[in-house]
Amino acid sequence: MMKMFLAGVVSTLLMATAAQAAEPVKIALIDPLSGPMAAAGQPAYEHLKFAAERINANGGMNGHPVEIVGLDNKLSPQESLVQLQKAMDDGVDFITQGNGSAVASALIASIEKHNRRNPGEERLFLNYAAVDPAFTNERCSFWHFRFDANSDMKMNALTDYLADQKNIKKVYLVNQDYSHGHSVSKQARRMLKEKRPDIEVVGNDFHPLAKVKDFTPYISKIQASGADAVITGNWGQDMTLLVKAAADFGLDAPFFTYYGASSGVVTQLGDKGVGRLYQINEYYGDFEDPEMAQRQLDFYKKANWDFYYLRLSNMLDMLKKAADQEKSVNPVVIAKALEGMTLTSTTGELLMRAEDHQIQLPMFISVMDDEMKYGAEGTEFNFHKVARIERDDVTLPTTCRMRRPK
Amino acid sequence: MNEATVVATSSPSMPWRSLMPWAISLAVMAVLPFLFDGGTAFTLMNVIGINIVFAMSYNMLLGQGGMLSFGHAVFFGMGSYAAMHAMNAIDEASYTGEGFWAHIPVVSMPLVGMIAGGLVALVIGWPFCRRAGTAFAMITLGLGELVAAAGQMFPSLFGGEAGIFANRMVGPQWFGMELSSARDVYGFIAFWTLLAVAAMWAFTRTPLGRMSNAVRDNPDRMAFIGYQPRNIRYLIFIASGAFGGLAGGMAAVNYEIITPESLGLIPSGMALLMAAVGGLGVFYGPIVGAIVVTLINSMLSDYTDASILYVGLIFLSIVMFAPRGLAGGIEQVRVAWRQGELTACLPGWLAGAAAVLLIATGLSLAVELLFHWRHGSDGISQFFGMALNETSVWQWAAVIALVASGVGLMRATQTLRESAQ
Repeated sequence: MMKMFLAGVVSTLLMATAAQAAEPVKIALIDPLSGPMAAAGQPAYEHLKFAAERINANGGMNGHPVEIVGLDNKLSPQESLVQLQKAMDDGVDFITQGNGSAVASALIASIEKHNRRNPGEERLFLNYAAVDPAFTNERCSFWHFRFDANSDMKMNALTDYLADQKNIKKVYLVNQDYSHGHSVSKQARRMLKEKRPDIEVVGNDFHPLAKVKDFTPYISKIQASGADAVITGNWGQDMTLLVKAAADFGLDAPFFTYYGASSGVVTQLGDKGVGRLYQINEYYGDFEDPEMAQRQLDFYKKANWDFYYLRLSNMLDMLKKAADQEKSVNPVVIAKALEGMTLTSTTGELLMRAEDHQIQLPMFISVMDDEMKYGAEGTEFNFHKVARIERDDVTLPTTCRMRRPK
Repeated sequence: MNEATVVATSSPSMPWRSLMPWAISLAVMAVLPFLFDGGTAFTLMNVIGINIVFAMSYNMLLGQGGMLSFGHAVFFGMGSYAAMHAMNAIDEASYTGEGFWAHIPVVSMPLVGMIAGGLVALVIGWPFCRRAGTAFAMITLGLGELVAAAGQMFPSLFGGEAGIFANRMVGPQWFGMELSSARDVYGFIAFWTLLAVAAMWAFTRTPLGRMSNAVRDNPDRMAFIGYQPRNIRYLIFIASGAFGGLAGGMAAVNYEIITPESLGLIPSGMALLMAAVGGLGVFYGPIVGAIVVTLINSMLSDYTDASILYVGLIFLSIVMFAPRGLAGGIEQVRVAWRQGELTACLPGWLAGAAAVLLIATGLSLAVELLFHWRHGSDGISQFFGMALNETSVWQWAAVIALVASGVGLMRATQTLRESAQ
């Protein structure tokens, strides 16, 4: 027994020293880190650093410590490419980004071209939040891995839940007038028709992106239509102001959202969101798992952000697993190891599907609630789990025809 | 055109002097690739080249024509979209090797952008050019927002949020230019930048270029002597749009992607920022501005979280205290040197520069301390190797000392600068 213990101690010590001595594996986050959109990029940056600390304490990636590099792209696709070049010159092999499918699109195209033009210097793109389904369908790339459910999968899970809500007969769709909003609206109508033909879509509105300050006219239309529920893919101020206007107007219909728990929403809505604001996400705010609860407490204390991005932890865990399994931190080796990899997370087993590099995972519907044990943003409010949608119900087929390097 | 009666007066006595700047620029552009290694330097130089053409085309409107525009990115973006669609057409055509596009090299994309930018200006410009000033500014602001919003709504043409992208390594190659890495693209960018700047310089020497200055300074008098200010503004608008589109075509090849944000207010504001920081009244002002602003934009955020604040402060202080911009300062020194007054002026100017440097250092230390206090340590919490600590009295005292000594130096040497003039 003692021998085993000693062996364990020695091996951990060895691993720890190896982690210190070995060349660090750099992961660059290219996201808005300054200016008006910094609230979208900064929490991800802090999450990554927080998760990297945990990975490094456990021996790093095959003995290499993980180092997170933050690069500010000001949410511009062109600027992102400049930052990508900086990262590559800096010896970064892994690029991660999440805010904005426009930026993700630029990075995927650029990394794909770079890898084809410079064999032996391949880089990987780890997408943690850009949800355009095209990236794992017609535009799929061997060098891109998505650790978030895409927009269609989220709608699939959401409509699964709505299909079971017999009291919902009329649904209203409000979305931002650009590609993401249109795709949400289209999929909502298609999937509702399939799963609950009796549900009537009583309205389908598009409003200008990030321009509307007063949503009251939209809300009064929703009220007049007699809708039982509203579905919206809105994010940022369009999300907050929409739900706030509904609360002020006295509209009781619940809002089913993609981004209900983005930073700042809980503080701004307060009790106006309770029982009204639902979201579909890979996690929720109950933190029944003591380890996750500890992470929430530690992270809030350390960085003043909530533990929202479980997927960033999962992402680094998967990278570590791939590196340890293959005894290598080479991006091509890691990419091959990630294909078809499973990881047991706190929410269940995750699978990185080999065909399209889209993660497959269970999703959760949660609703904003008060008197929560672990309140978000220092308040008593957080998202309380309502339903779990199993991995097999979230999944969708892909049209991807992946081209793999030899 | 009946403007041929107005002949540009140039001094043929010293042709070498007017050629010098071009020879120096050419030499610098030729030497630069040997000074740097690694992709970042080349990527940045390529962005700078694009921004130089963009800012200079903007200055044709504002600096030379007196038209304040908030929608210049529309031409840049439209040029870029046209070039991107053309590159995709080349890609398609080069499979079969047949058709018009199969014979067009990618290096000519800036011309496609130029035609597109010019056409857009030609189609939409006429109603805008009736007035300069506030009316023109408001209309272009609306135009920019309109096109940017439309860009999000018509995904077939603009590609939706993800934009449209192309591959620059297609079609016939000219001069063995492969355009694979940023280093390869540098040659392409340098060539087009030089050509575009030379063309814009030539434009200022044409009768139309001279009349654009006249219409800026006194449109009423222009009307009295028989030139329609509106027509002249319209022609400048088209020329400026064409060069903006040319920059867009360069960007299309460099980035290989274009998204609808490129049409909006932020890139339009960048053009104004670059031109104003560099200096509106000097021909090469936007070049200086493009270099400075691009470097600040892409590099400063590595060192401080407050980079956007600094950009704003620099813009503010230049507009308030040095309205002629950075190039205006360079011109001042050059003119003094030419007239042999440099030795008399220099002590006052150097003292002034030192004072500005002291104040700027003090203010940025204050900004960094405030940021450190508000956001905590972010890995960049160093200031000239000194660990920041907002609770330290000494560091706040240093702020006050730096600013006070700067202001003191400025006051003390005021007479020096006044006597020189």
